[in-house]
Amino acid sequence: MSSYYLPAGILLSTILILLLSIALKRSHIHAFLITGVGLIGACLVQVSLITAPATSELLFIFTQVNALVSAVLLVILVFLWSQLYHWLDKSDNTNEEYYLLLLTASLGAVSMIASQHFASFFLALELMSLSFVGLIAYSNHNRNSQEAGIKYLVLSAGASALILMGIALIYLQTGSLTFDAVSTSKLQHLGSSPLSLTTSGMIFILTGLCFKLSLVPCHLWVADIFEGAPLPTTALLAIVSKLAAFIVLWRMFSYGEWQTDSAILDVITLVAVASMLIGNLLALQQDRLLRILAFSSISHFGYLLIMLLLEGNTNLLNDMGFNLEAMIFYLLAYMLTLTGTFSVLMQLENNTSIQQLSGLFWRQPLQATCLSVLMLSLAGIPLTIGFMGKFYLVAAAISGQLWWPMSFLVIASVIGLYFYLRIIMIMLAKAERSSVSLKLDMRQSVTSWVIIVTVIGIGTFPSVFADMLRAVTH
Amino acid sequence: MTLLCLILIPLLGGLLAWYSQGFNPNLPRRISLFTLITSLVYITALTLTRPLARSSQWLFDESHAWIDRFNITAHFSMDGLSLILILLTLLMGLAALSSAWSEIDKHQGFFYFNFLWTLAGIIGVFLAMDLLLFFVFWEVMLVPMYFLIAIWGHENRRYAALKFFLFTQAGGLLMLLSIIALVVFHYQQTGLLSFNYHVLTLTPIASPMAIWICLGFIIAFLVKLPAFPFHPWLPDAHTQAPTAASIILAAILLKTGGYGIIRFVLPLFPDAVQFWSPLMMTLAVASIIYGALMAFSQHDLKRIVAYSSVSHMGFVLLGCFSLNMIALQGAVMQMLAHGLSSAALFMLVGLIQQRFHSRDLHQFSGLWRYLPQLSAMGLFFAIATLGMPGLGNFIGEFLVLVGALEQHTSFAVLASLGLILGAVYSLRMIQKSFFGPFSSADSRPQDSTTETMIHSRVTEKLHNTDTEIQANLASIATGDQASAKEAEQVKPPTLPSPYPDLSLKEKLTLMSIAAGLLLLGIHPQPLLDMLAQPLAQVLALYTITGSAS
Repeated sequence: MSSYYLPAGILLSTILILLLSIALKRSHIHAFLITGVGLIGACLVQVSLITAPATSELLFIFTQVNALVSAVLLVILVFLWSQLYHWLDKSDNTNEEYYLLLLTASLGAVSMIASQHFASFFLALELMSLSFVGLIAYSNHNRNSQEAGIKYLVLSAGASALILMGIALIYLQTGSLTFDAVSTSKLQHLGSSPLSLTTSGMIFILTGLCFKLSLVPCHLWVADIFEGAPLPTTALLAIVSKLAAFIVLWRMFSYGEWQTDSAILDVITLVAVASMLIGNLLALQQDRLLRILAFSSISHFGYLLIMLLLEGNTNLLNDMGFNLEAMIFYLLAYMLTLTGTFSVLMQLENNTSIQQLSGLFWRQPLQATCLSVLMLSLAGIPLTIGFMGKFYLVAAAISGQLWWPMSFLVIASVIGLYFYLRIIMIMLAKAERSSVSLKLDMRQSVTSWVIIVTVIGIGTFPSVFADMLRAVTH
Repeated sequence: MTLLCLILIPLLGGLLAWYSQGFNPNLPRRISLFTLITSLVYITALTLTRPLARSSQWLFDESHAWIDRFNITAHFSMDGLSLILILLTLLMGLAALSSAWSEIDKHQGFFYFNFLWTLAGIIGVFLAMDLLLFFVFWEVMLVPMYFLIAIWGHENRRYAALKFFLFTQAGGLLMLLSIIALVVFHYQQTGLLSFNYHVLTLTPIASPMAIWICLGFIIAFLVKLPAFPFHPWLPDAHTQAPTAASIILAAILLKTGGYGIIRFVLPLFPDAVQFWSPLMMTLAVASIIYGALMAFSQHDLKRIVAYSSVSHMGFVLLGCFSLNMIALQGAVMQMLAHGLSSAALFMLVGLIQQRFHSRDLHQFSGLWRYLPQLSAMGLFFAIATLGMPGLGNFIGEFLVLVGALEQHTSFAVLASLGLILGAVYSLRMIQKSFFGPFSSADSRPQDSTTETMIHSRVTEKLHNTDTEIQANLASIATGDQASAKEAEQVKPPTLPSPYPDLSLKEKLTLMSIAAGLLLLGIHPQPLLDMLAQPLAQVLALYTITGSAS
């Protein structure tokens, strides 16, 4: 076993140790610390692996891009973990199993990012999805949370079934379970079998992954589950699950050379444009921040899908690695912003309806500033990391000459601005007399400052980050 | 570092002003005053130590590393055009500060923070010579402006702020697409990836896409200017913004649109500009006439001034797309003169609103009686806007019309209608507000002894409002005699004025703006000389094509 498996190995052993420790003695602080040590250890090892040379085995592939994405994923997990203790401490559930499920979900995500074989992909996906069912339905007093858990279970099972069907069809056609089995170069050896079988297999898989990424038309679950699940779970669902699912979709797409199939390209274009527009339109009139985030995440993944269409297009900048670079930048920028947003929401506890945010600027200047910066970043206003992401995305799309999806991007962005600004606007309203101003403790203000500095810092001076990304992707 | 400092001074001043609020609520405005004066002294010192070099267009030029990945640098340059506009920014910043001084009483620290950051953003726009840097300043100056309107504005402020932001952002996004497309096509053509203005102007793109890329830029600038179909944000933003923000908006922010066209659109897309020029001149004439007609039909003073801005900025657009030296000089002149006169008008409206709690022409009239100095100033600036010879606006409009006449006679003839319509709405505004018998619907007079008297007058007025309006309309044509007589009839015995006239600070500010307009009107030559070289550089590409056609 090579050192590439070390982060996953660390996570796995942490899970076992945690299981033993729970069996021996239930203690929240122990579980918290064990998880922390495991996550930080895995994160450090993963960071050190970024510069390691690429290697590939039957089930998994380890490239520098994978290593970078996994490392950022683990950093985000560590950041969320650091705020988890206070959140869970307030609930009257037993808390130890939450960490267990968190670790299994992370293990699933990390192995999914590295998978290049349908078997490893499916196992990792199931490991992650099943953990999420537990995480969503965790609070045993909240009926909404139970309902969300059931919804997720059913839909996730349906999505898995679709994916399995797709895998089966592809296996039927090609006799192989690796991602690159459907690439045209390999298919040519098979002679004159009906090609539509692989196409329908791809569409089945795509539909299943659309559920995971909550893309239109498989987006209906997302708002209810975002709102019903406990807040840290929502954060994990929005960040970890979607990041892993998108990376795996990109890998299947590029390794399998799906872009040679024009039907698939049409489907993806349609899904992308519909997600951008419908996601933002649905978010317009929402009154709860979580629902707004849920719908805005639909449109952000719509933007990202455009990047898939660029595979194989001629690039006017004569730089084929640039598309990947832009995709990873946008993905990571969005994920960092989202992590920040969920951290602020966790600080605000359950006061996330628009009315409850009213006047926050005058009650909690630091938190409100932080949330405003994050909203501006989601909207893509310059000097935030979100803008740099959008700049990369637009640059890649234009150099790939995708003109008409770009026009929808402009329309969708302007619609999006409306509701991001609406949140800022509400916070600027006059403070109500009844609302008491809470004192931020040390930990919360440090978190807020870290978020502001990261989002504005990388947004203003992206050079270091951009250079690193370039080195990794070329 | 010389030019970077020019942006850093207001940025740091803003942070300091915000921070200082904790010690003393009066400190932020003093810090702002100090910051603006420092910047002014700094820029004067800069220009005096390096007088205009005859040989080169650029007075200063500096570059800092920024995003190496795309060969984007923080590149700043200053020529005569930028210098003049930055001076205008700082001076109008002082005027805005003067009007904010006593008007803003809540969250002062944050107000002056946003105020100074807006100015810093605008200065950045005038200095940035890298397209992405320009775009960043272009967008970033909107965020503090948005806060200025949304927090300190009037009754309908949120709607106005949102509309302002959405319109300008939509334009901005189109510009971002165009910038990237321009760079990509430039790379195709030359193999050089660069966002640098000086590099991009050397080889104008030859692709047929140039027309659409150019349109993206133009729309972004038209929104900001604003020109006819893209203007709806302006009346709302102006009406709802606090006086200081209105001044910045009208005097400086709108000028960034004109600046963008002159600096970027004209030199970067010589062929595409020829293509769009007729359409843009049509839009310009439409804005001139439409703005004037709308200004005539408003009864909110701020809306009148706002629509008059649409009309006047139409002249700027006309000048920019006439593509000759005289018209371009006229456009810049018009930008400066409009900056001064509209700032003064907004300030006066702000003062009237402070005293009468209303901007509605139906709510008061005959202000001359109690506020002779304010009214005299109002008269002066209204006359300046309608283009009285001897004042700056006349020079601007005249030069634009002369230039446009060379290019397209019909457009110039139609645009000159704007001068007549300008006189109509300006005179109507003066007539209704300053002349005639005094009346005010304000229910909160400051002097208790005059309260009963004013109440009786208000009721009296309510009875004959209709006849009043007719009289006023008639008096536009027949002179002021009828209403003057009426005023004499109801003239009460000498009473102490219930409304304070201009204070020394306000007088000084308005007087200096008036002096500036006079100077522009009587002796514009030094300014035109200063502009000659930058504008000649812009037009260098057109003289060849122009002579051929």
